[in-house]
Amino acid sequence: MENIYSDKKKAGGAFREKLSYAFYTMLHPGDGFYEIRHRGRGSVGCALGIVAAFAVSFSLNKRYANFIVNPYNTLYVNSVIDLCAILALFLLFCVSNWSITCLMEGEGRMKDIVTAVGYSLLPLVCTLLPATFASYLIAASEEAFYYMLLAVSIMWFLILVLKGIMTVHNFTLGKTLTTLVLTFAAMVILIFLAVLLTTILQQLFLFFKSIYMELIFSV
Amino acid sequence: MKNMRKRKMLITVAAVLLLASGGMRAGAQTQVPYDTYNYDYWGNLVYTPAPYVPAGKLSGESLGIGAFSAPQDMFLAGDTLYVADTGNNRIVMLGKDGKLKGIIDSLGAREGEESLKSPKGICVTADGTVYVADSGNKRVVVLDSDGNLLSQVRDPKSDVLPKQFEFVPSKVVVDYAGRVYVIADNMYQGIMCFSEKGEFTGFTGTINVTLSPYEIFWLRFSTKEQRSRQKLYIATEFTGMDIDGDGFIYATNIDNDGRQSVRLLNPKGQDVIGKKDSVPLSGDLQWRLAGDYGGASRIVDVTERGKGIYSILDYTRGRIFTYDAEGNCLYIFGGMGTQAGTFQTPTALEAWDDRILVLDAGRNEILLFQETRYGQLINEATGLRYDGDETQAVERWKEVLKYNSDFELAYSGIGKATLAAGNNREAMHYLRLAMDKEYYSIAYKRFRNEILERFLPVAFTLGLGLIAARAAWRVIRKRRMQKGGGA
Repeated sequence: MENIYSDKKKAGGAFREKLSYAFYTMLHPGDGFYEIRHRGRGSVGCALGIVAAFAVSFSLNKRYANFIVNPYNTLYVNSVIDLCAILALFLLFCVSNWSITCLMEGEGRMKDIVTAVGYSLLPLVCTLLPATFASYLIAASEEAFYYMLLAVSIMWFLILVLKGIMTVHNFTLGKTLTTLVLTFAAMVILIFLAVLLTTILQQLFLFFKSIYMELIFSV
Repeated sequence: MKNMRKRKMLITVAAVLLLASGGMRAGAQTQVPYDTYNYDYWGNLVYTPAPYVPAGKLSGESLGIGAFSAPQDMFLAGDTLYVADTGNNRIVMLGKDGKLKGIIDSLGAREGEESLKSPKGICVTADGTVYVADSGNKRVVVLDSDGNLLSQVRDPKSDVLPKQFEFVPSKVVVDYAGRVYVIADNMYQGIMCFSEKGEFTGFTGTINVTLSPYEIFWLRFSTKEQRSRQKLYIATEFTGMDIDGDGFIYATNIDNDGRQSVRLLNPKGQDVIGKKDSVPLSGDLQWRLAGDYGGASRIVDVTERGKGIYSILDYTRGRIFTYDAEGNCLYIFGGMGTQAGTFQTPTALEAWDDRILVLDAGRNEILLFQETRYGQLINEATGLRYDGDETQAVERWKEVLKYNSDFELAYSGIGKATLAAGNNREAMHYLRLAMDKEYYSIAYKRFRNEILERFLPVAFTLGLGLIAARAAWRVIRKRRMQKGGGA
C-alpha cells in the first residue's frame, strides 16, 4: 500500500508523483500530513515550487482581474515585489514556527514545516487563476460568486495550515492555536531584529566610512 | 559617403521633430501661473490642460473710485456685478464691459442708519432689490435698485436663539419668494431663515456634530473638569452661499477632515447634493498636514453655474474646484502667489458667461479667468449630459480626450452614449476606461445576452445531436453484441 508513491522512477515521473501527492494531501490532509512527517512523502522542492506558483498567480490576479472586482490599481502592480514579499513572508513564518515549536516540544523538523505550509497553499494556486478568468464573466451585481470562490479557497488554505501544523508537530488543536499566536509574535520580533540589525550595520558602515574619509583627507 | 549618411540622418531627425511638434495640441501649451489638475478613480493626481487662463483684473483704481478695501463678497445679477467693498463701507456696481455702473454708500433714509458699516455679504433679486449683510450695524438691509432703504432685518427674537445672541450677518441670499437666508457669525446651528417680512423663522441645513469612535471613547472616560478644558465639539460654520432659481441653496462649510464642504439644501433644509459614496466633495483629496498651504481645503464660497454645475473656492491653496450634478470633479485650477492670476486672500467667486471671477481681499482686486477650448468643451458636454443629451455630447467628449486622454468622465460619457446606441462591445471598452462599474456591468450583461442568444440554440442543437448520436451508437453496439453473442 505504502509503496505506490515511494517507487523510484525517472525524474519526470518523480516530479509528477510529488505533485500528485501534494494534491492527495490537499484532499486528505489527515493522512497526507502524517505521511509527510513520518514516511518522508513530502518534498521541500515541490513545496517551494507551490509557493512560487502561488506568488505568480497572486500577482497575476492582482494585475489581470477584471476592474469590477480588482481593488488594486494595475499601474502599480509590481510582480517582482509580490514574488519576493510572499517568499520572504513564507520563510519568516516557517522560521518563526520552527523556533516556537522547538521550544514547545513540537515533533516537526524545519523541512516538515516548509512542506506542510507550502502544500497548504495548493488550493489558492488552484483557484486564483480560474477566479481571475471568471472575473471577466461576471457583472457588478454578480461579484459575490467571485468573492465566494476566493473565500472558499482561503478557508481551505487556513484549515490545511492548521491541520498541517497540528499533524506535523503532533499537537492538539488548542496547542496549535497557541503556537500560531506565538508564531506571529515571533515574526514581529524577527522583523524588529532585522530592522535593528540593518540600522546597526548601517551605522557601522558609516563609522568605517568616516574613518576612511578622515584618513584620505588627512594624509 | 559617410557625410551623406550623416546628413540623411539629420534630415530624418529634423522631420521627426517637426512632425512631433506639429502634432502638439493647442491649449496644452498655455503657460499659467498655477497647477491645473484633476483626480482619477484612484484618487491620484493627474495634471490636465488649463480649463481657464488668467484674463486680467478689475481694481478700484482701474474704475477710478479708489482702491477696494478688503472686499468680502460679490453677486452677479443679470448683467451687473455687485461688489461688497467691505473696508470702504460701500457697494460697487460694475457692468459687463468692466465699467463702473454706480456706487451705493449712503442709504438716504433715517438719521444714524443711513450708511453701511463693513458690508460683508450681498444678494440681489431678479427685480433689482438689493440685500446687504451690513455686519457692522448688525442688520441686513433691503434696498431698492437706486440704493434707497426699503426695510431691514435685525435683532431676531426666538426661543431657540441664545439670550445674549448678537446678530452679525456675514452672508445673505434671497429666494424667489423673498425669504432671506443669512449666515451669521458664531451661529453654529445652521443658516438663519427669515420670512419676507423679516421675521426669524428657524434654521436650515444644520450640520450635526460627528464624533469619531476614538473621541467618544476618551470623552466617556474624562471627567467634567477635563472636558471643560478640551476643545469644544461644535458643528462647523457655513462660509458661503448661492441660490438657484428653484430656491435651492448651495452652501459651503468648513470641513477639516476634507469629506464634504458643499451642500445643496432643498426648501426643507435637507442636503440633496449629488455625491458618490466613497468620493469626498471637499476640494483637494491630498494635502500636507501642516506648514504653508497645509490642511484640508477651506472652502469659502460657491457659485451655481446652471445645468447642475457649480464651482467652489478654496482659501487654503487658492484653488477653484468645479463639480457636476453627480459630484464628478470636472477641473481644478488656481493657486496662491503674487504673480498675476494668483491669489492672496480669495473671498468670493462668481461665473460670468465664459469667465470666472474671483474676489481677492488681499490684492483688493477682482481676478478674471477666461475659459479655454478645453474648459468650454467640458462645460458644454456636462451641460448636455445633464439634459440627457448623451449622444450630442459625444463629439465634445472626443475632443476633450484629444486634450486630456486621462479624463475618465469623457470615457464615461462616450460609453453611455454608445451603450444607448446599442453598441455594447464598444461601450464596454469605454466604460472600462472610465472605471464605471455600474454602466460597464449593464453593457456587459447586454453583451453576454447577445452572445447567448446567438450561440445558445446552436449549442443546444449540437448537444442534443451528440446525445442522440451516443444513444444510437449504444443501441447499435448492443445489437451487434447480441448478434455476436447469439452467433
